[in-house]
Amino acid sequence: MIKLSEVQEGKKGVIAELKGENRFVGRAVSIGLTPGCNVEVIKNRKNRPILVYSRDTMIALNSKESENILVEEV
Amino acid sequence: MTNKNETVIALLGQPNSGKSTLFNGLTGLKQRVGNWPGKTVEKKEGFFSKNGRDYMVVDLPGSYSLSANSDEEVITRDYITSGKADVVCILADASQLERSLYMLADYAGIDVPCFLVLNMKDVAEEQGKTIDAQAIEGKLGIPAILFSATDLKEYGTFYSALEKAVDQKTLLKAPDLAAKLKLAENEEGTNKLIKSGEAKFAWIDDVIRGAVTSKTQKVSLGKLDRIYTHPFWGKPAVVGTIILGLILSFIPALPLMGVGSLVGMIPAPLEEALLNMGCPAFLAAFMTDVVIRSIGFIVQMLGFVFGVTLVFGLLEEVGVMARISYVFDNTMAKLGLQGKSVMPFLVSFGCTMGGAAGSRVIDNWGQKVLTIALAWAVPCGAAWAIIPMLSTVFFGAWMPVIIIAILLVMILHMWLTAKVFSPGLVKKEDRIGMIMELPPYHKPKWGALFRYVFGRTKDTFFRVIKVVLLVASVFWLLSYSFDGGDVTGSILYKIGSAIEPVTKIFGMSWQTFMAFIASSLGKEGAIGVLTTIFTGSGGLSINTLMNGMRPENLNEILTSNIAKPEALALIFAMTFNMPCIVALAATYQETHSAKWTARIAIYYTLTALVIAGIAYRVGLLIW
Repeated sequence: MIKLSEVQEGKKGVIAELKGENRFVGRAVSIGLTPGCNVEVIKNRKNRPILVYSRDTMIALNSKESENILVEEV
Repeated sequence: MTNKNETVIALLGQPNSGKSTLFNGLTGLKQRVGNWPGKTVEKKEGFFSKNGRDYMVVDLPGSYSLSANSDEEVITRDYITSGKADVVCILADASQLERSLYMLADYAGIDVPCFLVLNMKDVAEEQGKTIDAQAIEGKLGIPAILFSATDLKEYGTFYSALEKAVDQKTLLKAPDLAAKLKLAENEEGTNKLIKSGEAKFAWIDDVIRGAVTSKTQKVSLGKLDRIYTHPFWGKPAVVGTIILGLILSFIPALPLMGVGSLVGMIPAPLEEALLNMGCPAFLAAFMTDVVIRSIGFIVQMLGFVFGVTLVFGLLEEVGVMARISYVFDNTMAKLGLQGKSVMPFLVSFGCTMGGAAGSRVIDNWGQKVLTIALAWAVPCGAAWAIIPMLSTVFFGAWMPVIIIAILLVMILHMWLTAKVFSPGLVKKEDRIGMIMELPPYHKPKWGALFRYVFGRTKDTFFRVIKVVLLVASVFWLLSYSFDGGDVTGSILYKIGSAIEPVTKIFGMSWQTFMAFIASSLGKEGAIGVLTTIFTGSGGLSINTLMNGMRPENLNEILTSNIAKPEALALIFAMTFNMPCIVALAATYQETHSAKWTARIAIYYTLTALVIAGIAYRVGLLIW
């Protein structure tokens, strides 16, 4: 399991765990980032929000907070 | 039902689900905007009638769920469970049903009649998806329609679904989900959220199984997105896009500016004509000077507002705004704002009223007000016309240095202003869990866009003109020379000379102080005022206050009457003062809060004086 923020561009994974506070987890869940769902990392550069594709949606996440999402790389 | 027998419809949907388009499509211009009581969240209500029934539409704040994590979500949840709505229209993005039906899932267990609108069907079609709305309707027990809020011809299906939901009081059928959610309640903290989330998505998968087919697509960033998300080229690309947009905004602006300046030619001959008809001088002057000139001034600016609303409305609809937000999010976050705020700042270099109009793309009201408050610090087109000229007149080759100093002060000013105004407007917690969607680019619907732009521009004209006429009338009364003589006959002079000891602290004599006050109306006005005062030629009029005549020997008039330190004070005071009367009116129109508009105006006037005072002392040290 690695943090989403550490996944390289172009790699895919499955979300294993969501850490963090209610507010963050609530938002992540409501936009579709739940354990068991597929994510693909599209862009991951320093100082920019990380771009992932999940459930048919392109999502931009604060890179610091994406450390709270743990994935199993595929 | 309202006490006027209107059926109340609440629009519920996630951001980017096309809720606003539907709201505008249903209610046209019959809308009123305010704030939810005690909150920094906008409340929009609109009205329409169909088939003999009257409806009131409440546009609930866009939120991702009905949980209670943010003000938007609390307001939405409270409103729905209060039963004030007779029926709830739940929107979902048809091209992303796997995710967008989450709001519907969150609605399970609420016993207020509802119906489902699978919006943006055109995008789904573009992506090769087919959706069987009837099948979904069967599974849910509520009317479900495939829809495109931008296509007015389709609204018949909407009204049918609406009437069915109202008459049959259709309730969402999801007993299994409701049971699972009850179970999840037993979990603790974030586990509860995760378990209930999983249950909801599993349910959504069930609902769409068999009803949605799609071609599998390879996901990759388009060429445009690769530029925008590029670590180096991203920001210049965004700035370039905005500047291009700004230039394009001038195209529809020019004809209106032409009309506006034609209106500006009416007052003089009209005034003469009125006087010849025996109209009292006071009234004739008021009619022509205040009323006609204000209209002319506004019409000139209106063209630009139309242009900005059109161009940036287009960028929002196509999806470019979301990219702008992404690129500048980190930078803007330092000011407590979101990435989109960079757009009004850049537009304000052209015209602050355009900046205010542009801030419409910011969905969070508190951030919108804060953005506008900061945008006032950006020197606008009028400032760029006047300030370098003035600086050259007094300081010759030092002009570039002054301009650079102004830009530096601008940055400091914005940073300070953000610190002052954020506590009341934005909550730090709102920035946590900042998760943005980048919707797929899609072709704009020109019809809907133009309808929206015309509507907003017309709205702007009527609101702005009220404020401008009011303020212009007040200024006019204060500056009118009742004894028919020169400036000294006006109330403004009497006040100005009386408080001169105070204004001197800020580096200005009564003359430059009056110019400073005039610059609140319009920067050009300061020149006109100085000219009138120093040449002793008659009284002030709105003409001088708003249009500023430039005599041949302006340089001499200015340099012989104003010392360098005072000139420096005036330059800084003018630059950082309220941008102009139209910006004030536009700010009121966008924030719909007289309270905040007044606060911002007073803050800017006072800080302009303080900055002037500092500039004065710096000037004394140098000269």
